[in-house]
Amino acid sequence: MTRQSEIDGAVARVQQSIGPDVVRIRYEIGEDWSGQWAIFFRIVLTDDAARIRLRDVATRVVRGLAQQLDYPGLGVFPYHNFRSVSEQAVLQEPAWA
Amino acid sequence: MGLADELLSDARFLADKGVAEQRQTLMRRSISTAYYAAFHLFIEDFVEHWEFPDQRARLGRMFEHRKMCTGFTARDKNKPTPVELALHDVITAFAQLQKDRQRADYDSGWRLVETDVRNSTGLAEEVFEKWRGIKDEDAARSHLLSMFGARPD
Repeated sequence: MTRQSEIDGAVARVQQSIGPDVVRIRYEIGEDWSGQWAIFFRIVLTDDAARIRLRDVATRVVRGLAQQLDYPGLGVFPYHNFRSVSEQAVLQEPAWA
Repeated sequence: MGLADELLSDARFLADKGVAEQRQTLMRRSISTAYYAAFHLFIEDFVEHWEFPDQRARLGRMFEHRKMCTGFTARDKNKPTPVELALHDVITAFAQLQKDRQRADYDSGWRLVETDVRNSTGLAEEVFEKWRGIKDEDAARSHLLSMFGARPD
């Protein structure tokens, strides 16, 4: 199994376990501001989830991904950013699509 | 109210104003301030145990932002204790705040949205709440030393 398929599988499982609050999860691997390898998750939430229960959903996503993925083994540190469907509709950033 | 709490209050104020007025600069200041609130929370906690009050500010200036995001692994990853779980959340949130602060201050191409700002203030609140709940626990005190450069036991 490649690392990418391992990550893809983990992301799919987390998304499924959390349910419809999470619309999609994208990610990329690169260096962070300090030069450390990192995995940057971009998580699109429903408008209600982002507006009403952001921290609750965000915590579940962060913990779920941490349980599924061995970050030290992958040699990365995780970062997570969130936005709502409506916000992405305005920004239209391909990396979040 | 200490500096850390004042900064957290300012971060909330800037978030509300920035979102209401849709001003990117205020939203950036909110994210930056949320990080500094958490940073000073740890500094205050660390230096309050220094015996000489007149030296605490000087001691606080010793700490390097870059070194403060050190990792943490529970003794049994599959069965973390409640303290280890809270500590993990604090560390993850602090690292996120630090990364977002860096971006808010230097990435002029970042188009911020309300969720970015609300998430940062929420993360800072989470750091305050969870850290204050565990800060006297051995695992938390040990990690605090690691954040400030001490080698692990």
